[in-house]
Amino acid sequence: MAIIVEGRLMTFILMIIFFVLMYYFMSINKEQQYTIRAMPALQAIPEAVGRAAEMGRPVLWTPGISGALNNSSQGPQILAAISILEYLTEECVKAGVHLQAIVPLPDALPLIEETMRTAYLREGKPEEFNPDQITFISEQSPYLSATLGYMQRYEPASNIFVGGFYYESVVLGEAGNHIGAMQIGGTNNTHQMPFLVATCDYMLLAEELFAAGAAISQNRDMLGSIKGEDFMKVILVAITGVGFILGALNITIIADLLGM
Amino acid sequence: MSNVLKQEAVYAVTGIVTILMLVEYFFFADTQVWAETIRTWAVIIYNISLGLGAARLLISHSARVSKKGRDWQFSGLLLGLFAIMLLTGFAGYIMTGVQTNNGIYNWMFNYIYTPLGATLYPITGFYIFSAAYRAFRARNIDAALMLIAGCFVMLKNAPVGEAIWIGFATIGNWFQFTGQVPGMRTFAIVGALGLIAYGFRALLGKERGFYAGGGE
Repeated sequence: MAIIVEGRLMTFILMIIFFVLMYYFMSINKEQQYTIRAMPALQAIPEAVGRAAEMGRPVLWTPGISGALNNSSQGPQILAAISILEYLTEECVKAGVHLQAIVPLPDALPLIEETMRTAYLREGKPEEFNPDQITFISEQSPYLSATLGYMQRYEPASNIFVGGFYYESVVLGEAGNHIGAMQIGGTNNTHQMPFLVATCDYMLLAEELFAAGAAISQNRDMLGSIKGEDFMKVILVAITGVGFILGALNITIIADLLGM
Repeated sequence: MSNVLKQEAVYAVTGIVTILMLVEYFFFADTQVWAETIRTWAVIIYNISLGLGAARLLISHSARVSKKGRDWQFSGLLLGLFAIMLLTGFAGYIMTGVQTNNGIYNWMFNYIYTPLGATLYPITGFYIFSAAYRAFRARNIDAALMLIAGCFVMLKNAPVGEAIWIGFATIGNWFQFTGQVPGMRTFAIVGALGLIAYGFRALLGKERGFYAGGGE
């Protein structure tokens, strides 16, 4: 009797290898320190907050509508975006800048509120946090029109669009450009990346969004998992390369193995 | 419950749910029923959160109306419309068992909400034009290459392109369905790896976003 579902054996083996690699770099050889390349989009966050402080205008953060937490492929994007929100909130508290979050995801709302509250607490100004800094608007069209309205009325100095986006990415990005805002984008949705790249000054592409939390905290264990991820990429590139060469020679062993 | 215990409870629930889901996906096991139940819980919790969102909306706008705060008239309008939709929806449900069996409810949804949403969608077209103008300025060699590729795809999609030269369709199709695919798939694969790594870190309690600023 088969134990593993047909066609998922190799995926399971690769996943185990991936987990082992990440755990190895996170937990073994604790003396070794890891570094991560600088991400311009993250380095630009203090600049975005500073710009808002100088102009006396707010910073707008919004995570897009596609990342409902019960969606396994989209949900993690909003969680990664919340890591960035925490850092952004701390920077805003330090600079005394008003941060407005417009959120269309009801299940993420408590996480976002708690994250901002914790960031205010960590900076020693819990009394300055106001729940009205978070606006909840459900459904795509109302969310979009409310965010556009906020941009027109308050003209935020900087917009941070990180998370899971659908078509609102191009509308928000362009509306932000029309009011002259500095913009930082980030998403893992491949079909929306071009719009954010075209409309934002800085961009977190695909895995950069998920690595942002590690890059901000510089936590050794978190960076270790990214080192494991890089090794996994090397393995996958090698499999692809060998498979390509063998496939060209009509040898289908790699394709057959991956299909197991 | 202390904060430490609360955190440990979150780690434990996260770990158990993850293991259940992985076992359900990879193995033929009796845990499939449990995993299905957890997914149903997720849907229920999501819908409860919608209810909480509605309650928070009502509290916030009621306060604004009672204090005559900024733009309180809009808050009053929102409360009025909210009440009408809720009452007509319930009325339809009580009388016929189907909430949409109410003329006012249907009229407001079909002739106010749907057209407003449909009106907003086409503005995307204008924004795509202005975004394309921004992206297609040949400021360097990369942007110039993208401009050339973009022109071929535009001429392939516009009927006038094929009328000028049939080859635009062939070249445009190559860019759209062959040239860009490896790049997009690379993003998809590394994005998936990043997602798994994120999940692994969250499982070990390292990701603070997952724990709303808590975690290690």
